[in-house]
Amino acid sequence: MQRTLRAETGLSANELQQKYLGVNGAFTLLAKQITEIDPGDRKVAGQPLNNLKNALATAVAAANNPSVKAWVDLSLPGRRPAVGHVHPISQAMAEITKIFTSIGFTRARYPEIDWDWYVFESLNMPPDHPARDEWETFFVAHAPDEKMGQMVLTTHTSNGQVREMERLGKPPIRMINIARCYRRQQDVTHTQMFHQFEGLVVDKGITIQHLKGTLDYFAEQFYGPGTKSRIRPFHFQFTEPSFEVDFSCHLCGGTGCKFCKSGWHEVGGCGMVHPNVLRAGGIDPDVYTGFAFGWGIERTYTLKEGLAIDDIRLLYSGDLQFLEQF
Amino acid sequence: MNILIPHTWLLEHLEADIEPKKLQEYLSLCGPSVERMYEREGDSVYDIEVTTNRADAMSVRGIAREAAAILPQFGVDAKLKPLTAPDVPNPSEELVLPTITENDELNKRTLCVVLSNVDRAPTPDWMAKRLTALDMQIHDAAIDITNYITHELGHPCHAFDYDKLVACGNQIIITEAEAGESFTLLDGATYTAIGGEVIFKDGTGTIIDLPSIKGTANSSVNANTKRILLLAESIDAKKVRFASMTHAIRTTAAQLMEKNADPTLAIDVIRLGVKLYREICGAKVASAVYDHFPRPNTHVAVTLTSEDLFRYLGVVIPLEEAKQMLERLECEVTIIDDSLVVTPPSFRPDLTIPADIVEEVARLYGYHKLPSKLMESAIPTNRPSGTNFTLEETVKEFLATVGWQEVYTYSMVSEAEALATGFTLEEHLKLSNPLTDDKVYLRRSLAPSLSAVLTANPMRQTLSVFEIANIYHPITNELPNEVLTLGIVSSAQYRDVRGILESLCTKLHITNFSIETEAGSSEATICFGKTQEVAGSISYSNGLTIIQIKISALVAHAQSHPTYQPQAKTAIIREDLTFKLPKKTAVGPIMSALEQLDPRITALELSTVYNENHTFTINYHDPNENLTSEQIAPLRKQLVAKVEQNWGGSLVGQLT
Repeated sequence: MQRTLRAETGLSANELQQKYLGVNGAFTLLAKQITEIDPGDRKVAGQPLNNLKNALATAVAAANNPSVKAWVDLSLPGRRPAVGHVHPISQAMAEITKIFTSIGFTRARYPEIDWDWYVFESLNMPPDHPARDEWETFFVAHAPDEKMGQMVLTTHTSNGQVREMERLGKPPIRMINIARCYRRQQDVTHTQMFHQFEGLVVDKGITIQHLKGTLDYFAEQFYGPGTKSRIRPFHFQFTEPSFEVDFSCHLCGGTGCKFCKSGWHEVGGCGMVHPNVLRAGGIDPDVYTGFAFGWGIERTYTLKEGLAIDDIRLLYSGDLQFLEQF
Repeated sequence: MNILIPHTWLLEHLEADIEPKKLQEYLSLCGPSVERMYEREGDSVYDIEVTTNRADAMSVRGIAREAAAILPQFGVDAKLKPLTAPDVPNPSEELVLPTITENDELNKRTLCVVLSNVDRAPTPDWMAKRLTALDMQIHDAAIDITNYITHELGHPCHAFDYDKLVACGNQIIITEAEAGESFTLLDGATYTAIGGEVIFKDGTGTIIDLPSIKGTANSSVNANTKRILLLAESIDAKKVRFASMTHAIRTTAAQLMEKNADPTLAIDVIRLGVKLYREICGAKVASAVYDHFPRPNTHVAVTLTSEDLFRYLGVVIPLEEAKQMLERLECEVTIIDDSLVVTPPSFRPDLTIPADIVEEVARLYGYHKLPSKLMESAIPTNRPSGTNFTLEETVKEFLATVGWQEVYTYSMVSEAEALATGFTLEEHLKLSNPLTDDKVYLRRSLAPSLSAVLTANPMRQTLSVFEIANIYHPITNELPNEVLTLGIVSSAQYRDVRGILESLCTKLHITNFSIETEAGSSEATICFGKTQEVAGSISYSNGLTIIQIKISALVAHAQSHPTYQPQAKTAIIREDLTFKLPKKTAVGPIMSALEQLDPRITALELSTVYNENHTFTINYHDPNENLTSEQIAPLRKQLVAKVEQNWGGSLVGQLT
């Protein structure tokens, strides 16, 4: 500081003190002359003078009292606050919700314990139909309802289809329903409880092209630019035509690699809403068409790069070592 | 249902020059999905998933028919070869056919013929190789022929020991089992009927077959069999499914018949069977063919307009083009004006409505050829009431940010966990078919599941976990009340946990948050709003704080933004007062009382607690004027007097 002052002024701190700030210093003399200025203009002259004087005084004081710097150790490790984690399934749900709401879908929520009517029968699956084999259903020990049938744990989010038609009364419908589902199976790729997201679009003029467009949009948003979707023939009782959906592998771009084998990952089913389902929801299938899809969140999410979770049961284990990674 | 089809076997029914890899690709895009391919003994074996509606495709010939329809769409010449199964020749000897008592409700068709002189030859190599490729066991030709033709044509058949039938009266009665009757299958397993299973009985009432599912030991071919009755029946699909599911006997035959395999195919099965028995086993035809087929499948025409196709596909497909596609699937098609009149073949009972025909045309046209675009129609704006998914996300994000862990635990709990909630088992919904003992009851509280997470992570000295999930309260004769609940279990100090809950409410702009409790009680009620609606509960025991709050209460009381308060223009005076309170004095009520003493006491916080000494930081403020020492002194006196009089506390220090 001393050196800087000297370099700039050619004077030492003491000399500056005497010459400018002392009893007979320059500032004192100038301050006395203030009285000679017209009272209205005194402020204009006085303020800059004061500012200058204070700045110099501060610099001189600093030069006279060089501070002693405390010894600090910046190499010490940080002390971190506890960081919690939103569960990966919640993260996936939030992402999926955002993608679909951005193209006009409304998120809905329907019962997890529902009547057979909504889970199966209204979806064109009469009792004892072989198609029901695909759903390993948990039944609730409760007397069946005369009209609605047995009480079951929802095996899929599709129970929301007719319920959403009933809620809205008439199209347009563009629903995304994300919920817990239950099936009677358990191994490294299945848990008794899992999650699905269900899309339902019903309106005039809805075609397979719109289904393809929606799938492509989701694929690009969820897995990254360039990801494509593909539909192949399949069968579900509640859609006609029905499809299986594949997404192109984002690792190899669809050419086939160790992760995907064929270039594609199968994620789930979809199709054009069956006329009987529209009728069950009070919608005229001669006027309206629609499509629906429903996939497992676990499967959809773990196809993301770096998320090949080898045992899906970990998601619901409450194991902090696992959960804290997300 | 998956089916294995060797490539060379397929080519016996399919005329096409195509590489297996290409066939896999084309078939998967437009027909049944070829999930995998194996190389077995120099042959490619397709592993094909056939959907439940397509029993017709669950055979070599069925897949060949699909391929013949699909391949031309990719520019590959392909044809389904004619079936080489000649008529059954006239019998060379006359053995008496069993007397069959038919039941047309239970059985759609019965076809049978007696074969004698059956040489128990080993299964020929070519057949053994194919069956091995399908992971089937090899017995001898007389047994394996039935498996072979079932796989080839997609309709089951069964070989009875003719002499066993004769020994018990040569009679077959098609009927339903009564509860308690027992039967032993050819693998030796014995079952007791629950009643209603379709069975064959002999004249004495003994069960001699579980038709369309599996043969019984008392009538099936064994090592000594020389004469057989080759029989193909078509038991009602629902009946087959009932018996097969009830007794968990899931044979190929049952899986075909419960999906309505076409009884029309049965004649080809008998013809092909007789041909193979004669060629391989030197068998002689020893009876006429018995055929009872009272109601052959009716062919109902479906009419489809070009508009129907356009409505689903959004592209125009010329009717002539659609007609050709459908004809390759063996439909009869005529074009009348702007419509296709389509009569499906007998083996396609799945084609009944226009949408079914649309699917056939669309898949052969190729879904991959259709454009992809987003909807241009109106966006619905009628949102469901009572939910706020954004708020749920905000809650999760906030709690995670302050260091808590979100978990997902199962909705079903064990008996012990159910009882831990204070409800009896009868007050819970129960699964009638649980998979595991630890997941039997639908939970009425999140607390046991979340506490279990803390127990499962013993290395964490303090751990706070939360979950947003439903709890299920039963209602008589109705669906349960599913209450979406925020559950929190924490081993952190009570005040820290409660503080975060208070901050969460502040974050959500919930006003009038309060916790109502009896002094000293370990449980309290959480209330929101002017009406003090009960939003949930908070409890503390064994070092754990447990909170459960209804999400609906958060939704009802949360606000998207605060009610703006103008900046104070007058000074806020803060001071600390320390009171010594008698032991076991609840502080909450004191604070509520002091806050309400005077409107100029605008805030009161508990800043430190040391033994019985409690220091409160008090804000005095008047929005209209700066408070003077003289104005604050009586307020302070009131505070001290209130604590002294109501709670027996004393001020530490002296009033000035």
